Amino acid sequence: MKLCGAVTAAFSLPAGFKRDIAYATEQAIKKPPVIWLEGQDCAGCSESLLSSLNPSAEELILETLSIRYHETIMAGTGMVAEHAREETIKEGGYIVVVEGSIPKADDRFCEIGGKSFREIVMETAENAALVIGVGSCASYGAGIVGTTPSEGGGVAEFVKNKPVVLLPTCPVKPSRLVSTIMYYLSTGKVPELDRYKRPVAFYSELLHDNCPRRGQFEKGNFLTDWNDPRQREYCLLLKGCKGPRTYTDCAQVWWNDGANFCINAGAPCAGCTQPEFYAAFSPLYDKQEIFNIGPARSINLDSVGAALTGAAAAGALAHGLGRVIFEKKDSQDQDEDMREAL
Amino acid sequence: MTQKIVIDPVTRIEGHLAIEVEVENGKVKNAWSKGTMFRGLEALLRGKDPRDASYVTDRVCGVCSASHQWASALALDDAFGSDVPDGGRLIRNLILGAQWLHDHPLHFYHLSALDYIDIMAVAQYKGSDPGLNAVKGKIMKLVQVKDTAPLTPRYEPDEFSVTDPEIVTAAVAHYLKALEIQAKAKRMGALLGGKMPHNAAIVVGGVTAYPDMQILSQYRSLLNEVVDFVENVYVKDVLMFGTGPLLPLAAAGIGASAGHYLSYGGFPNSAGNKDLLYPAGVIFDNKTDQVERVNYDLIKEYVGYSWYDDGPGRHPLEGETAVNRDKEKGYSFIKAPRYVGRAMEVGPLARMMVAKPEAFMKLINSGVKPGAVARHAARAVETLVITKQIYRWLDEVTEQVASGKCRIHDTDTWEVPENATGAGLNEAPRGALGHWINIRNKKIENYQLVVPSTWNLSPRDDKGVPGPVEQALIGTPVPDVNNPLNVVRIVRSFDPCISCAVHIIEPDSNRILEFMVG
Repeated sequence: MKLCGAVTAAFSLPAGFKRDIAYATEQAIKKPPVIWLEGQDCAGCSESLLSSLNPSAEELILETLSIRYHETIMAGTGMVAEHAREETIKEGGYIVVVEGSIPKADDRFCEIGGKSFREIVMETAENAALVIGVGSCASYGAGIVGTTPSEGGGVAEFVKNKPVVLLPTCPVKPSRLVSTIMYYLSTGKVPELDRYKRPVAFYSELLHDNCPRRGQFEKGNFLTDWNDPRQREYCLLLKGCKGPRTYTDCAQVWWNDGANFCINAGAPCAGCTQPEFYAAFSPLYDKQEIFNIGPARSINLDSVGAALTGAAAAGALAHGLGRVIFEKKDSQDQDEDMREAL
Repeated sequence: MTQKIVIDPVTRIEGHLAIEVEVENGKVKNAWSKGTMFRGLEALLRGKDPRDASYVTDRVCGVCSASHQWASALALDDAFGSDVPDGGRLIRNLILGAQWLHDHPLHFYHLSALDYIDIMAVAQYKGSDPGLNAVKGKIMKLVQVKDTAPLTPRYEPDEFSVTDPEIVTAAVAHYLKALEIQAKAKRMGALLGGKMPHNAAIVVGGVTAYPDMQILSQYRSLLNEVVDFVENVYVKDVLMFGTGPLLPLAAAGIGASAGHYLSYGGFPNSAGNKDLLYPAGVIFDNKTDQVERVNYDLIKEYVGYSWYDDGPGRHPLEGETAVNRDKEKGYSFIKAPRYVGRAMEVGPLARMMVAKPEAFMKLINSGVKPGAVARHAARAVETLVITKQIYRWLDEVTEQVASGKCRIHDTDTWEVPENATGAGLNEAPRGALGHWINIRNKKIENYQLVVPSTWNLSPRDDKGVPGPVEQALIGTPVPDVNNPLNVVRIVRSFDPCISCAVHIIEPDSNRILEFMVG
């Protein structure tokens, strides 16, 4: 039931849903078969799933899901493993989770069991009920891997005839994956998605708007020295924080079961939910002179002053902030602007 | 008669690996280790702000992410001339220490144990232990609905498999408990690093997270729980298996490499990356009493059998190679690093052979020969070694925070130097890890990694000398070619990480660096 509560909360569902989800979970005897495919990955998303304490990794592996194929954890190996995947495909109606990107430069840059990863994804998606891309690499390809000579692409670029949900962050946040699967099982529907196929429930709000350090931003308190305990809670904009460009619930739903998140550890947000991650967000640890979103919406600090209190603007100027965009916009417009700018 | 076995994919490792062996008269006659995935991360870094490197290379591997981030930060510290303050060094050690505590037990229980136990023996458990009966109940529930994935399908148990229901049921109970423990160890890392895997806090000059007493006390309470499991369950299990049911496998030295060991050393106990918890050293030809100094100039990477354009063996910073999947002689995306021409084994066994802690030498003297089982034992012993040290690091940093004197970052060297080079050499859970950076005009001109699994899983070098895993496989008994359990036992004992192992080398300037450790 803890799991059900988490799901209903995540998708802001009415209380009745908790019962439905509980019922769906009770039918555990028919646990959803899952084929978890790893392409150009680092296994970080798999490791992230295993980092879950509530629900526990044990609950997920043995009670919630029927993981028929997962290279990192399954007992079978070689032909035995591939056979398990083939048998599940014959059965149909399973969920495919894709971790890592798919190389576009040459099929042979990622082969498993003598088959290219692209082929494996295509044939596995064929009889799937739902395809979920976990992590930034499977979502955009453009993540860490996409801009390398192997030209990794995201799963949605390849799978067109099945519902695809993308859950970017590096790595995937386990609660998002579990909630998405449980929501699908209990409602038979894909959660409402934005244009990047990300569930609106997790990706509709700007990190900057919910940041616990937002007040420091407003006051113009920007961290310049990590050693100074007085600056501990200061805004990380001058250290390169991409919070003003990043749509995520990280400020509300912390990592490792609420232990922490990047900004709370003094580390600037790198924007890993966004298609710009990583290359367009470089340098990660320096303020970008401007978040390049096109001339019409560029605002420099002179005009920011009108929107902010005078003191805040003065504080920001004193820190040599340069131009910064902080107005809240629809994520889709903003991403569109970014695309154009690129 | 010679028969060829292809195991593709080798599962329960990190990344994509295929193993091919030729079996003659029930023994492996020849072996090939094939990395089948290519990413090319270093190219992504060219032209970027050098400070990005620690964040980006953290993404090389999702299991030992912090090790890469740390090696990268060490390379940047070297290039920037950073003097990491004590607090920064200690917090790095604590984040990395937590990673080791999650990584080693996870390798034993979740990646390896299923090769050594017949999990279905749980059904035969007849004892009265309520905990074990609960475990039996969980497994039987899966069996009843005929859905035992991911525990099946599998290779069938063989003569070395442990089938005693009591031992197996306890092992399965520990497998499940270890799932919780490794998640808690990750949480320890997240408390200081923001999240885990892929923490965000280690940067050039130190770390970003200024700790408070509350976080340190949460870390300590999780540490107590994890260490209790390590000492009373994990290490005991490894010793019980190694000196009990698996002793025949251990005493036969199944899975021994050629006996060349390399450790760069890691975990500084004092400033300047000095006084290392795991010492650096080189051993040749199993002469474990002759530990030599590491000379980093002597590392060369060869590509004769790798899918890259041919060229002479080169030091990582002189490399000039382009991916070439059409090369007929090639059979792997992994390169072949060699130290004075030798294929070196790196990792827990190499570290323990160099360090020789008493607990480990006792095992060796009791008949556990270097090989697959000894690798598991070395991993367990070095986990014990580090747990004791983590408490010391935690005490030191707690004292600094309490007295208000904790410094975590060298802010004076934060700006990027115009031109510089740097090396970051340390020990990841899987072995010796090196990052090299070349900065020109404040941008990354070249970035190189030589990682543990590149050493261990390397293909043949230009002279045709097989890599350590290939060598370890030769001679392995394979009574049933349809069930090559010993082969995967040996491969997994190295804890392969192929995402790490495959990378490309970019054309570099003509500079040659000398890297020495104290």
